[in-house]
Amino acid sequence: MRKLSILVLLFGLATFAYPRLMSPRSFAERQQRPQIEAHTDRGIVGVKIAVPEFQVAAADPKADALTSTFNKVLWDDLDYSGVLTLVSRSFYPLGKFAQPGDIHVEDWTTPAVDAEFIAFGNTRVSGGRISVEARLWDLKNPQNREAIGKRYGSEDTEDGTRLVAHEFADAIVELIGGGIRGIAQTKIAYVSDRNGSKEVYVMDYDGNNSYPLTSYRSTALTPVWAPDGEKIAFTRMRTGAVGLEILSRIDRRSYPFQNPGGTTTTPAWSPDGSLLAFATSRDGSDTEIYVADWNGKNLRRLTVSKSVDISPVWNPKTGREIAFVSDRSGSAQIYIMDAEGTNVRRIIEEGGTAVNPAWSSDGQRIAFAWQKSRTSYFDIYVHDLATGKNDQLTQDSGNNERPTWAPDGRHLAFESTRSGTAQICSMLADGTKVRQITQTGKNTGPAWSQYIEH
Amino acid sequence: MTLFRRKDVVLLLLIVSVLMAASCKKRVAATPPPPPPPVAPAPPAPAPAITLRAQPATIERGQSSTLQWEARNAATVQIDPEVGQVAVTGNRQVNPTSSVTYIARATGPGGTATDNARVTVNVPPPPPPPPPAPPKTPDKTISQLFLENVHEIYFDYDKADIRPDEVAKLQNNATWLKQNASVRFTLEGHCDERGSEEYNLGLGDRRANAVKEFLLSQGLAASRINTVSYGEERPVCHEQNEDCYKRNRRAAFTMNP
Repeated sequence: MRKLSILVLLFGLATFAYPRLMSPRSFAERQQRPQIEAHTDRGIVGVKIAVPEFQVAAADPKADALTSTFNKVLWDDLDYSGVLTLVSRSFYPLGKFAQPGDIHVEDWTTPAVDAEFIAFGNTRVSGGRISVEARLWDLKNPQNREAIGKRYGSEDTEDGTRLVAHEFADAIVELIGGGIRGIAQTKIAYVSDRNGSKEVYVMDYDGNNSYPLTSYRSTALTPVWAPDGEKIAFTRMRTGAVGLEILSRIDRRSYPFQNPGGTTTTPAWSPDGSLLAFATSRDGSDTEIYVADWNGKNLRRLTVSKSVDISPVWNPKTGREIAFVSDRSGSAQIYIMDAEGTNVRRIIEEGGTAVNPAWSSDGQRIAFAWQKSRTSYFDIYVHDLATGKNDQLTQDSGNNERPTWAPDGRHLAFESTRSGTAQICSMLADGTKVRQITQTGKNTGPAWSQYIEH
Repeated sequence: MTLFRRKDVVLLLLIVSVLMAASCKKRVAATPPPPPPPVAPAPPAPAPAITLRAQPATIERGQSSTLQWEARNAATVQIDPEVGQVAVTGNRQVNPTSSVTYIARATGPGGTATDNARVTVNVPPPPPPPPPAPPKTPDKTISQLFLENVHEIYFDYDKADIRPDEVAKLQNNATWLKQNASVRFTLEGHCDERGSEEYNLGLGDRRANAVKEFLLSQGLAASRINTVSYGEERPVCHEQNEDCYKRNRRAAFTMNP
C-alpha cells in the first residue's frame, strides 16, 4: 500500500509539473497506474472526470425520459468502473454543455472542479432512433483536445438507450482507465427462484434487462459462460437424473451434450471454448473431475480420490491448470492440478471450508468463499497465487459466497444474504463499491460473462 | 439253348393258374369267424373294485412318491388330482409340493369304486419366510407397499457413512427389496442447506452411493438401482434449525415406474 501511495504521489507530481507535455500517447502510458492498483487499493483516486448532463437537442415526446436514462447509466457506468473519479456535479459551472462551444476549459480546470477530462454531448430522438453525439475531452492537452468524438445510435427504447450509454462508457474507460476495456456491456448469468422453481437467468452487468434462459420448472444450477459470450452451460435436475445442458443465451437454442451417466454437475469451459470440465459420479461412490469435448465426447478422468471432487475452473490465462474443490483432507478445500490431472496441490493451508474457486482473467488470483469455522459465515477472499496471501473482501454481512470475476479483473459479483435473502451483489476487487443488483426472489450462483461483441 | 421246352411251359402255366385259382377260392371261402362269446344276460355285472397305494407315503419336499393301483371289473380308472385317466392297473410317479390325498375312481359296468392314498410332504424346517408384511390385499399396490416398507436413511452433518443406528432400518429396506425383486428404484442423496451448494451436490452423491453399496453387499442387483444427488435442492423441511437439518440429510428411496 505504501508503494502504491508513492506511485500515486509521483504520478500526481508528474502531471502537475508537465501537463502541457502530455500527448494522448503519453497519457495512455500514465494509465498504467490504475492497472497496478486495480485489485489492492482502497480509495485511491483515479483519473478525474467531469460528466455534465447530456442535453436534448431535438424535441421529441420520448427525448426527456431517454436522455435522463442515458445520463444516469453513463454516470453509473463510469462511477462503477473503479478507475475513474467522477467530479460531483455540484462543483460544475452553471450552464448547459451540449456542444464544443459550450465548454470553457478553464472553468473545468479550476481548483474547485479540477477535472482532467470532461465527457459531454447531446441526444436526438427521431424516426424510432436515439442518436447521441458524445465527446470526451482531454482538458490538459490543448494540442489534442478531443479524445473521443463520436455519434452513437440505437433504437429509441430504454434498452437501446442503455446500450448507447454503455458503449460510450466502455470507450471512455478503455481510453483513460488503464487500457482495459470497460465491462458495461458484459452480462451476468445467475439462478433465480422468483417464479417458483430455480431457473437460469441472464441480466446486464448492472442488473437491468434480466430475462429467463430456462423454464424447466425443475431446478437449474451453476450456469457458466462459454468464452464466445453466447453459450451457457449449467446443471439441470430432472426426476432421477442430474446432468449438464448447454443453451444459447441469444435464441435459447440447445446444444447437444452427451452426459456421462451418474450425477453430473458444475461445468466449466476451457479458455479456448473447446472443452468442458465437470464433476460426475459416473463411476459410483463419489464425484470425480472429468474433462470432455464440449459435446460430451472424449471423456477423460482427471481426479482419483475417495472424496467429493467438484467445482472445477480453468486458469483462463493459460488453460493449463484447473482449480477445484475437494474434501480429501476432511473438509472442503481448494486444490489446483495440471490440466491432465497431475501435480495436485492445495492452495490454502489454513483450515475451515474453502469453496467456489473463481480464477481471474490474468491467471494470478483465485477468488473463493471461505468459512473459517463451522459456526462462522462464508466470506469472499482473494488468494494471490504468487504471494500466497489471502485478502478478505467481505465481512459482517451474512453469507457471501460464489464469487465470479468480471473480464476486466477489477470487479467481482457474488451472492450475499446481507439483505436477508440471497441476492447478487457486485463490487470492486478490493471489496469496495458493493452494490446489490437483484431484488426479487432468491438470486444465487452468478457467472460473469466474457466481453460480448454486439 | 432254351431252358424249357414249349410243352414244359404250357404245363407250368397250367399248374400256376390252378394254384392261383385254388388260393383265390380259398380266401373267398374263408370260414366265418366264431360267434362272439354269448353275452351273459342273466347275472348282474360284478361290482368293480380298486386299491390305491402311495409308496412312500411320506416324502420331503422335492422328492417323489409312486402311486400304485389295481382295479378289477373296471373299464376306466381316473386318479385325481392331476394324474387323470390311467390304465386299469399301473403305477405313476408323482411330485407333490404339499401334502395331498389322491383319489382313484374305477368305473365299470357294475358301477364305481374308489380308493384313496395320502402323500404327506414334509416342508423343510425353515421355509422361505412368509412375507412379514400383513398378507397382501388386492387394494394395496406395489408402490403403496414400497412406501410402507422402504424408509429414508439419515446421515450426520457433512458425513456419508451409514450411521450405526440406521443400519437396522436399512437392513429392513434391503429385505423388502430382495423379496420384491421386480421393483426398480432410485436412491436420492440429499443434504441440509449448510455448506456450499456445489459441495452438497457431491455430498448427496456420496450418501446415495453409500446406501447403494450397502444394498449391493446384501445381494441386490446393481441394475435395479439408480442413484442421483439433489444436493440441498429438495429439502423436506424448510426451517433453519437442527431438527429440520437432520431430516433433510437423507437418502430417499423412490420406486421407478
